[in-house]
Amino acid sequence: MPELRSFLSGGGQTAELIRAKNWAATPLGDIRTWPQSLRSALSICLRSAGPSAIFWGDDHLFLYNDAWAAMLGDRHPSSLGLPAREVLSDIWETLGPQFRTVIENAEAVNRVDALLVRNLGGATFDSYWSYSMLPVASEDGTIGGVLAQARNTTEKIMRGRRDALMLRLADRLRLVSDEEELLAAAVELLAGEMDVGRIGYAEANEDKGVISVLHCAVRHGMRDVCGEFPIPKFGDSINDDLHAGRVIRIEDKATDKRLADPKVRWRYDAMGVESALVVPIVSGARCQAMLFAHHNEARIWTAHEEVLLRQATEQIWRELSRVRAETALRGSEERYRRIFEQAHDLILTADLDQIITDINPAVAAAIGAPREEIVGRSIRDFVSEKGFDQTTGMLREKIEHGGTTHHTLDVVARSGRMMQWEINSTLTQDKEGRPIGLHAIARDVTERRRAEERQRLLVNELNHRVKNTLALVQGLALQSFKQGRDLDEARAAFQDRLAALAAAHDMLTRENWEGATLAQLAQEAVGHHNAREERILIRGPDLVLSPKAAVSLVMALHELGTNAAKYGALSAPAGRVTLGWRVAEGERLQLEWRERGGPAVTAPGQRGFGFRMIERALASDLAGSARIAFEPEGLVCGIDAPLAEAAPRAAA
Amino acid sequence: MTLEGTRVLVVEDEAIIAMTAEDMLEQIGCTVARVAATFAEAMAAADEGGFDVALLDINLNGTPSHPVAERFLALGTPFVFATGYGSAGRGEEFGDVPLVAKPYRIEALAAAIEAALGSHREYRSG
Repeated sequence: MPELRSFLSGGGQTAELIRAKNWAATPLGDIRTWPQSLRSALSICLRSAGPSAIFWGDDHLFLYNDAWAAMLGDRHPSSLGLPAREVLSDIWETLGPQFRTVIENAEAVNRVDALLVRNLGGATFDSYWSYSMLPVASEDGTIGGVLAQARNTTEKIMRGRRDALMLRLADRLRLVSDEEELLAAAVELLAGEMDVGRIGYAEANEDKGVISVLHCAVRHGMRDVCGEFPIPKFGDSINDDLHAGRVIRIEDKATDKRLADPKVRWRYDAMGVESALVVPIVSGARCQAMLFAHHNEARIWTAHEEVLLRQATEQIWRELSRVRAETALRGSEERYRRIFEQAHDLILTADLDQIITDINPAVAAAIGAPREEIVGRSIRDFVSEKGFDQTTGMLREKIEHGGTTHHTLDVVARSGRMMQWEINSTLTQDKEGRPIGLHAIARDVTERRRAEERQRLLVNELNHRVKNTLALVQGLALQSFKQGRDLDEARAAFQDRLAALAAAHDMLTRENWEGATLAQLAQEAVGHHNAREERILIRGPDLVLSPKAAVSLVMALHELGTNAAKYGALSAPAGRVTLGWRVAEGERLQLEWRERGGPAVTAPGQRGFGFRMIERALASDLAGSARIAFEPEGLVCGIDAPLAEAAPRAAA
Repeated sequence: MTLEGTRVLVVEDEAIIAMTAEDMLEQIGCTVARVAATFAEAMAAADEGGFDVALLDINLNGTPSHPVAERFLALGTPFVFATGYGSAGRGEEFGDVPLVAKPYRIEALAAAIEAALGSHREYRSG
């Protein structure tokens, strides 16, 4: 029949199914009896590229093209020829009135992105459609059927919703700096989009074998499952899917074969889970975290929900990493800040123009100015001109050759005090390795350098004193062993003089080389003559003599005592010596050694070294005069010296 | 060269050492023109003159005697440093000045004085 071929030909697979179907048993009757109006409309329908359908007759019997067949899935071809009320039973409540409008009023119905809540196979889900329903007139002028064209716009609508939601999520999370707050915000936002019993974020540690639910939002009577658990057996292949980062969909616990094991199913029972959608995140070949949606009823998880969770999981994971890194950084910054604040070492940073950008309190203390008066100023302000040339040279060195420079820099405190800082400094670099500034750690070595210098001077001084003492010993030897003297006598005199010198030094060492009192000195020099009875009367006020005057005086008194014992008052049993001193007018020290009761006195023809030394040494070391007189009753030695030279601490 | 009759100023704060130096100088034919025991005395003696050469202790009672040495240089007076410090204590500007170490050896003292007078004469004639 040429007419049959003409209206079914080129109509694709569905057209063939229509041709093959036995229509005689249906209200449409044998296909050869179909009216021309139906044939024409069906012809248009079958040749349409987009989903197109004809609903014909009183029961709106359903005929459709290949594109519509694709939308029907496994309900094709069984739906062919069924009444619309049956095929579209889940949405007939919405569509029924629209069919009536088209047929009774001969009006077209057009809808754009209209929500149709589908319920197929027991699962309810939202779907969006843009469709048109056109009246098709039959031969008698009445409306014989409806030509429908429909496009499922759910994906477009959902993508728009997801995009908006992800944008909101990004906006919301970007401002959050706290982990708890971030998870709460993210999960609540998702819960607003998906009407499920429980939605939450969990972290896994596969090495430790634990899973921690960090946050969840619940409704429909489901309970919170936050906490840490050992990773359970979630069911056949499910644990592997988690490990591999594959999305896990459980639409109906009751029929899901992966959960057949009672021990597995029991876990789902315990959590009240009938359906679940889990999106894991894998990093470093380990499952790190997951976003999960649980529901207490069987549920078909839409592509939209899966994509939404996948996008959200990635977003949360990223933001959480950021927040944690920031928290760790804050922690480590705080630790370093504390070290910086408490370091005894001087720490400062500067930019490449040598403007100081930060200092630690040690620097402020060393400079003697508060932080605000130092930061923002040039290094130039705190060093000499030469010092600034030095730091500029070091900076150039670091920029050209890198590394750390070590140098000693003269730094000027606010008080003008010069300091010496030993500085180690290195460039600070940005992420690309370009120098952006420098940081320096320094130590104030002023005191150490001073101590080293003191030490050096002290060692030099010691050397000088030792050599001087040797020269003194040389003098004593040369004088004691002058030609013509009896060798035994000379040796004895030399030994006594050495002993006296040693005693004087001992005493000064005891007194820390700060001088000794005159009474102490006298006792040291001539005390041994008083061993049995007091033959030398020592009288005078307390006066501390300078070290040099002290040594001279001990030597002089030693010579006087030796002479008195040999030739003078102490050589006769009744002889006595008075050693007295006083501070006379004009801040002068006057000291007198007066002998009496000894043998008759005669002035020696040639003055020996002893007397020469007394006169010379005392005169020079005390910057005064010493005079020896041989009076008839005995020898008298008078010394007159300014107090300032002999006893500087006693002088005003 | 003989030192006979050479007049010497001894600048030494330690009397016994000064006396030793005097004895030694007399043994080598010099005359001790004057002994100065303090910085002030030494400066006065340098200005007053009346000696041919000076024996100058590098440290006078704890004070470096460099100003006295500078005065000698300024006046063209030959002098010898006497020191217990070793050559380090002399100071760069006095690098040419002869040095005699303490304790003295009579030969070293004579040689140092001769050197001071000799270089001075060369300087004068040159």
